[in-house]
Amino acid sequence: MSTTEAQDLLDAIDRCAEEPIHIPGSIQPHGFLLAVDEPQLRVQQASENTQHWLGRDARTLLGQPLSTLLDTDRIQAGLAALAEDDQNPFHVGDVSFNLDGGNERIFALMAHRRDGQLILEFERAGNTRDAYDTLYPLMRTFVTQLQETRELLGLCQLAVKEVKRITGFGRVKAYRFDAEDNGLVLAEEADPGYARYLGLCFPASDIPQQARQLYRENLIRVIQDAYYMPSPLVPPLSPATGEPLDLSFAALRSVSPVHLQYMRNMGTLASMSISIVVRGRLWGLISCHDAEPRQVSYQTRTSCELLGRILALQIEAREVETLTQRKLELRQQIVRLLSAMADHDSVVEGFRQLPDVALAFAGAHGAAIISAETCEAMGETPAYEQIMQLVQWLGKRREQLIFHSDCISRDIPELPELAKHCAGIMAISISHLHAHYLIWFRREQIKTVEWAGQPEKQVDHHSGALSPRHSFERWQQVLGGYATPWEPVEIEGALELRNAVLGIVLRKAEELAQLAGELRASNKELESFSYSVSHDLRAPLRHIAGYTELLSELEGSRLSERGVRFLENIADAASFAGTLVDNLLSFSQMGRSALRLSDVDLGALVASIREELAPDCEGRQIEWQLRPMPIIVADAAFLHMALRNLIGNAVKYTRTREHAVIEIGAEQHLGEVTVYVRDNGVGFDMQYASKLFGVFQRLHRMEEFEGTGIGLASVRRIIERHDGRVWAEGELDQGATFYFSLPKLAYTPLSS
Amino acid sequence: MLKPILLVEDNPHDLELTLIALERSQLANEVVIMRDGAEALSYLLRTDNYAGRADGNPAVLLLDLKLPKVDGLEVLKSIRETPELRSIPVVMLTSSREEPDLLKAYELGVNAYVVKPVEFKDFVAAISDLGIFWAVLNEPPPGSLRLKRTRQHDDPI
Repeated sequence: MSTTEAQDLLDAIDRCAEEPIHIPGSIQPHGFLLAVDEPQLRVQQASENTQHWLGRDARTLLGQPLSTLLDTDRIQAGLAALAEDDQNPFHVGDVSFNLDGGNERIFALMAHRRDGQLILEFERAGNTRDAYDTLYPLMRTFVTQLQETRELLGLCQLAVKEVKRITGFGRVKAYRFDAEDNGLVLAEEADPGYARYLGLCFPASDIPQQARQLYRENLIRVIQDAYYMPSPLVPPLSPATGEPLDLSFAALRSVSPVHLQYMRNMGTLASMSISIVVRGRLWGLISCHDAEPRQVSYQTRTSCELLGRILALQIEAREVETLTQRKLELRQQIVRLLSAMADHDSVVEGFRQLPDVALAFAGAHGAAIISAETCEAMGETPAYEQIMQLVQWLGKRREQLIFHSDCISRDIPELPELAKHCAGIMAISISHLHAHYLIWFRREQIKTVEWAGQPEKQVDHHSGALSPRHSFERWQQVLGGYATPWEPVEIEGALELRNAVLGIVLRKAEELAQLAGELRASNKELESFSYSVSHDLRAPLRHIAGYTELLSELEGSRLSERGVRFLENIADAASFAGTLVDNLLSFSQMGRSALRLSDVDLGALVASIREELAPDCEGRQIEWQLRPMPIIVADAAFLHMALRNLIGNAVKYTRTREHAVIEIGAEQHLGEVTVYVRDNGVGFDMQYASKLFGVFQRLHRMEEFEGTGIGLASVRRIIERHDGRVWAEGELDQGATFYFSLPKLAYTPLSS
Repeated sequence: MLKPILLVEDNPHDLELTLIALERSQLANEVVIMRDGAEALSYLLRTDNYAGRADGNPAVLLLDLKLPKVDGLEVLKSIRETPELRSIPVVMLTSSREEPDLLKAYELGVNAYVVKPVEFKDFVAAISDLGIFWAVLNEPPPGSLRLKRTRQHDDPI
């Protein structure tokens, strides 16, 4: 098909969809129609074929009171009983016309109201008793059998059989519309000689949109003879409204010529369709065909309509049942997943423990859980890179709680590589803030559709009107790139799971917050405990030191040399313990006092620390390599303490070096500054690196290097108070480098 | 007659060491010792056991922060709230610099504080500095040695 042809076809389909089939302006001629006003009951419009049926030109009937034509008293009660909200034609009664020359005398009168008009349709009266006798028992058996049938196909099969029995059509089939409105034939009963369509698919384009709309409202439509000559209404416009009469619900409504052509192409001359409407949606049709013209009495039609409604209810019940079953299953799976998550205290772990449930839950072939830095995959999934690309793609749609597609190549054209590995995905975001997702994957399901003829209509090149296809030969189409669509219940289930998981995540966050609160409280308690212990320790230490000094002063001359040495040791020990306590106190102080942020010139700070340390450097050969240092925002006093500790250590641990080299510098990275102090001292074994920054952790014997073991702990505490990090690198006897990095902080300078 | 130094200290060792330190600083002032805050206030306000003592405030009050019954801060508060006592210089003695109560002491108007050092030598030095400053310089008693020295310094003849 060339582009022009394709465009022609589309245009024709559009025109077809625009054809106002509810106001055809004519009726099928197997009955006649009168539109009368109320309450006067004067004829406003009449079908032209009154000439045929009544022997009267339609024009002569216009304006006539109905009572001049027939005995209105007999139908008065029936008309009054017409329900206002039911627009379906109702059999008011059989009437006879007081006219001469007509072909028939007794007619079944069907009446309904539309647009303020009373529409009266007259058809040949059948034998009511006969109809009752045959229809009632059939229906009774049918309803009983329907209730006993569980399977959808069985229901359709039963309905088809029953309709065929009631109507006598040569072929009756039931089909169901898929999401795209293509109709798949589920059940079929046909007399010998009729083409079979069971299992075949009729393209959606066979039934234009407005016809579907009409099918949804008016559940039954009969065409008794595809070769009928429509009988126009006289006058064409309703005098009451100035518009064509709306025949949506009229049993005699004339149908589109395109449809008649379609029927003739199919080799059927009579047809009837019964709509199956489930929850307001045109679920399917029972479609009857006959090679010959066929009459369908109103009783039969009414029975069929009723049958259609019963069938629809049964289908709905089965669907609800299936849905409930699936929902229950989903719930159970959600509960299992949630309890696994709760048991392991982790969403990811919960999923990992129950891969089968996680997959079965969504009927997926693979799944992945993406959290901060991890991607946990199970089952059949695309490669890691593709999943991450998908996550990135999803990240741009963060506001969407759920994303699902049964055709990735169509819905995510940006990720062609992904589409090579799976066809369907469903992803739920399980965090408002982070890129945390649960993603299910479905593999491609090659779908083979057996079309009842190539699903393309053709355009009549003379008129430009749509000419229905001529071929109903089987035509096979293989559809690739599609996965089984995600059912609404599965999507709902995924959302439910999402909420539950979010609940867990939130609860965990709450627990963490509570834990943090408790930790803070107990930390504070510990700090005040350590403070008071240190504080109280100081007094006895002071006394020991004081009395030792006094003792050595007063009695020193009388003590032996050893005695004097002991006294000195006591004094040293007390003094050291005092320093220890003081350091501990200032360490606990660091945790308690607030940061006072200001600009800190690191270069100046290093210079002043070097001055302070000058006494320790006396007589030593130290080469200072001082790199340019930035000005940062920090607590000046705390940072002084930290840097002094690090530089002091560098001086201390290079003591054994004849030529000590101490390098101090800083590097600026995105959003943070890293300061380092490097020395060529005794270094340390990296296996103890983690111990370096702990309180009372020492790597050297007291005789080698003095110290309280609090210095680096203080450094860490200070840096961590600034939300920074500390770490160290070193090698035994090869020097050490101590680093700390501080985030770039901001402060509000106090206005002076 | 020099005004006395009032020392309020409950711990006997600290008391002894402080007295030795004062002794070594060669201050001529008499040292009056009180062992808790309540007793100190009685002395200052001349009530109870001290109702009969002679009029006059001490030259300086060396007040331990932690005291039984009425603690140092409360004593300080009472002093600052009593018009007749308000002008007494108060030096707080504390066990450590990290004392959170120090801030409160400042708010209540303490004149100085001394962290009792572990090293006795340092303690002696701190106490003599204090004594010289508060007991002598602030209100120089006539005829004192150090006064003369100060005078000489101020007004060289």
